[in-house]
Amino acid sequence: MFPLDRSTFDRAQSVRPQWRQPSRSAAFDVFEKLSMPDPKEEAWRYVDLDFDLADYSVPADAGDRVDRPDVIRNALGTTAGVAMVRNGVTTIESSTADVVFARLADAGPEHGTLILDAIPSDLDIFSAAHHAFGTDGVLLSVDRPISEPFFIDIEASTPGSVSFPRVAMTVADNASASVVLNCRSPHDTDLVVVPQIEAELGDGARLEVTILQNWGYQTKAIGQSRVVVGRDATIRISEVGLGADLSRLHLTVDLEGRGSSSEILGVYFGERDQTLDYRYFMNHIGQNTSSEMFLKGAVEDEALSVFTGMIRIEKDAQRTNAHQTNRNLILSDGAAAQSVPNLEILANDVRCGHGSTMGPLDPEHRYYLMSRGLDRERADRLQVRGFFEEVIARLPRQEITEPLRDWFNTKFVTAQAEGRVQ
Amino acid sequence: MTIALHVDNLTAGLGELEILKGVDLEVPFGEIHALMGPNGSGKSTLCHVLMGKDEYYANGSAHVAGTQVIGMPVDERARAGLFESFQYPVEIAGVALGELVAEMREVADDPNEFDKRVARQAEALGMDRFMDRPVNMGLSGGEKKRSEMFQLAIAQPKVAILDEIDSGLDIDAVREVAELVESLRSPDMGVLIITHYSRILRYMKPDRIHIMLSGRIVRSGGPEIAEELEASGYDDIRRQVVAAEADGSAGAVT
Repeated sequence: MFPLDRSTFDRAQSVRPQWRQPSRSAAFDVFEKLSMPDPKEEAWRYVDLDFDLADYSVPADAGDRVDRPDVIRNALGTTAGVAMVRNGVTTIESSTADVVFARLADAGPEHGTLILDAIPSDLDIFSAAHHAFGTDGVLLSVDRPISEPFFIDIEASTPGSVSFPRVAMTVADNASASVVLNCRSPHDTDLVVVPQIEAELGDGARLEVTILQNWGYQTKAIGQSRVVVGRDATIRISEVGLGADLSRLHLTVDLEGRGSSSEILGVYFGERDQTLDYRYFMNHIGQNTSSEMFLKGAVEDEALSVFTGMIRIEKDAQRTNAHQTNRNLILSDGAAAQSVPNLEILANDVRCGHGSTMGPLDPEHRYYLMSRGLDRERADRLQVRGFFEEVIARLPRQEITEPLRDWFNTKFVTAQAEGRVQ
Repeated sequence: MTIALHVDNLTAGLGELEILKGVDLEVPFGEIHALMGPNGSGKSTLCHVLMGKDEYYANGSAHVAGTQVIGMPVDERARAGLFESFQYPVEIAGVALGELVAEMREVADDPNEFDKRVARQAEALGMDRFMDRPVNMGLSGGEKKRSEMFQLAIAQPKVAILDEIDSGLDIDAVREVAELVESLRSPDMGVLIITHYSRILRYMKPDRIHIMLSGRIVRSGGPEIAEELEASGYDDIRRQVVAAEADGSAGAVT
């Protein structure tokens, strides 16, 4: 294992192709200047970062596989490609012949334009560390419509490690792709993961990205993602938040091209003392762009969820249509949800809306269901199922939704059985 | 033999506010009764107090097929044989009617018999196309009542209370609902229809009609009461009651 210092950086540089080295040097300089975020910073005000990145080290190798049953991969069926990024080291297991689906570490200068570095190093210390120390990941470049999904397992398993998996995707004009990211780590292992997911969509391109955040209960995951969307192109990003001690996802979508659109779905269940933190920025830059964010989540016991949503509509982004909705179920007195929708509108011809709600299960619904003979526990389970179903039914890749329903249901049933919900 | 619903000196209210001031009511098996009264008379409160909605306090007794239900949780009342069809059935996003029916099956006495009822009633009431749709979402007033009638039929209760069964319906839907209720008439069930207007009674023949005013049942009788109401409204009955009470108290003083 290698600490986050100059010698580890030099080691990372030594395995990188020469053309990648200068930008990494700059990132390391930024890393050296930054410290852990101050809780007073607006970007971190709801989140208790009770760890220091300096206490974690870069793993020496890919390490052990995560020993947890993998129902998602089995449910997916036929895939266009399968890759594994474990403890920062990538293996391509299978791939459709005529696309670039490769290890980032192998990328040559001819792939330079496919590596976007869309997330700036100076976003925070995590991004700087990612750019300075991360060496591998998955490069996907698609130039035709492909309906079967690409499945990427992102695993971390080495105790005390910090890894920097990267997924960089480009979808050419009028091409399309679907990517499922399955994030997992053991439940009993303290570790940090800083994934970056970036994508660029050409004109008329379509990309759906489904992120299954199923990290172990002692994992701190600081995810960063940015998508740049071309003319008449469509991005769909869904995140299913189930695991982690702390999971943060900082997502930025730039709707640059005229007529581009974005659909962001989220469904999450915070249990015990988990923190699930979503920080979403939707930038409408081109004309006639449209976006929807729709996130629903439940928190129980002492869990915390945070949704900070920003819709920014630039001056030239006329005839924009933008909506964000965040609904939270608070299942215990000790649980909390923060929901902060923001609008910043510089154009004058727009349709824009936002809403957020939080509260317990609806007593009128409970009464109605119990009047049909369902006991209270059963009635509440049905209500919770319905709450999540509104998002789950809209997820892309419906073939994986059955295990998701089971997971959410099991979490609530367990919380009921252990008396953690009211 | 026991009667389907036997309410005896039921008082109930919300906090300091007493709404039901001693209700006595009997609905025998095989009969359909109508409970009528103006807004605010306590009809809907009676429904919710019988079903056990938890914001109300209640004293007195209500027996469903011989079981005292006051004090029981809502679901136990349902399993004792009580069914309420709601005036405003809640819309439950994300829960398909079929899922609710599957949960009802889990608590049914005889799941196989339940399945048969579901198959039979879904066909009879044309409910198949609603099974995959969220409970009550986007349904017209008439469709909601039909869904309630379907759930009633598959629950096979001993007592069915239909709260404002005709509210918000156009005249064709009122007739349809009335015919549905008549078709559900059974020697194993007593039915109490709660209604503000007498128009639904043009399409069905209740065995008895009860008039509720200010938290009490003040008149009970045959279908002729509906005709009387149609002619002169609740005010006339209220005047008669007030006059009778004045006579009563004058008598008590002397």
